[in-house]
Amino acid sequence: MIQLFHVAKSYPGDAPVLDDITLRIEKGEFVWLTGPSGAGKSTLLKLLFCAETPTSGQILVGGRNIVRLAQGGIPYLRRNIGVVFQDFKLLANRTVLENVGYSLEVLGFSDAEIRERSRRRLEQVGLGHKASSLPQRLSGGEQQRVAIARALVNEPTILLADEPTGNLDPGLTDSILQLLFDANARGTTVVVATHDRSLLSRYHRRTIGLERGKVVVDA
Amino acid sequence: MIVHVSLRLARRAFVNLWRAPLPSLVSVLTIGLSLFLGASFGLGLLTARALISSWGAQAAITLYLERGTTDDQARALAQDVQARVADASVVYVDRATALSRLRVDLGDLAGALDGLSQNPLPPSIEISPRTALAPADLRILSAQLAQLPGVHDVDYGREWLDKLEALGRASRSFGVGALAAVVAAALLVVANTIRLAVYARRDEIEIMKLVGATDGYVRAPFLLEGMLQGLIGAGLALTAVLSMQRWLLPRAEAAFAFAAGVLPPRIGPSQGALLLGIGAAVGLFGSWLAVGRFLRT
Repeated sequence: MIQLFHVAKSYPGDAPVLDDITLRIEKGEFVWLTGPSGAGKSTLLKLLFCAETPTSGQILVGGRNIVRLAQGGIPYLRRNIGVVFQDFKLLANRTVLENVGYSLEVLGFSDAEIRERSRRRLEQVGLGHKASSLPQRLSGGEQQRVAIARALVNEPTILLADEPTGNLDPGLTDSILQLLFDANARGTTVVVATHDRSLLSRYHRRTIGLERGKVVVDA
Repeated sequence: MIVHVSLRLARRAFVNLWRAPLPSLVSVLTIGLSLFLGASFGLGLLTARALISSWGAQAAITLYLERGTTDDQARALAQDVQARVADASVVYVDRATALSRLRVDLGDLAGALDGLSQNPLPPSIEISPRTALAPADLRILSAQLAQLPGVHDVDYGREWLDKLEALGRASRSFGVGALAAVVAAALLVVANTIRLAVYARRDEIEIMKLVGATDGYVRAPFLLEGMLQGLIGAGLALTAVLSMQRWLLPRAEAAFAFAAGVLPPRIGPSQGALLLGIGAAVGLFGSWLAVGRFLRT
């Protein structure tokens, strides 16, 4: 599903953020991407949804070399990738239902379809009763659940989550992770970047450890 | 799918205008004011040109004949001229008539002519074109008539004509430059207003792009918004110009009395449509510039 060949990323005047990364993530896998702050986790995720381009190396997503992807092809790649961020990135002036349906709007679904699919996805994350609320009226955990619902509403084949529990109380972490495990159980390939090592010991999944831009663990 | 996506984008453009009324109002008023100034200036310019043309049209050619030309020769020459310049009044003025005109013109000073031993005035032929002649055509015709046998000299007000032509050229260049400056100013204001709107919605744009929106999809509501602002602004300008035409010009018509036959400026349906088109184009292009710069960064 995802393959990286000798991928490097550096910015002029700085040490490389990623250095000669080669790895393969199979379809339907759940992978922890871990390492200390500055190890290159977020950059690696950004490379996968083309928010950044590598300095060298090749990246295949779903068999397609995304390094050679033309600018116009990036939106179509992103429609198959759901992304979840630590800071949720919800639109404050739109209701929870509208936030979830946003990606379906872009895909050209009708209003009725958007409402129906968004409502169903909100029910799955346990927030059906908050559909008409504005995001700032929700707790951090609820906002992250909305963000996950938005990332999954168009049933992407890949879900990337960058520190999805980083802003949440420990008590809420399990419920958020459970949503990611559920998505994975339905066949979605899930890559979660986290620096919280306690998650790795509680939930045993494949772990790719980064340090100073290099893969130091893959187990 | 295309229909409901288009409707959704149009709805979003309206909602965006509604949600940020102040910047939109500034943009609409700026476009309106710029186009009003531009249209008023353009109409003024057209009037000035019509005025200049009318002055040109009033120009007449006088052929001064050789002193020894007989009346019969002069009349034959006048007929020849009439045949060459069909659409003009051609009048032969003999020496005696010329002298009596001069007496009338001199009024109280006419007594000075009594001391003359003989009539010093040459016979002449006066040619007054009935339709406006372009200065260049007037010049060519005068040169042709000067070649006729018996013609001593030709007067067609060359200096006056040259000044009119220079005035016409200057007003045209100034008009084009000023109109371009007004349109460019409106364009920059729209671009800046839309850029502020784009910046205010940068989070939304980031999320749109994140979930797979194409640049065209991101750009479309802003372009529609800019076009709407341009159209509304142009509508305001058109209303102002038409109001001016309806209420102000009838009172100012006395000011145009010195130019008989020159109508005061009027804006018709085609000019109105042109103004709306320019407004929409300015809004559209301004937005294109603003969003294009944002999408590249």
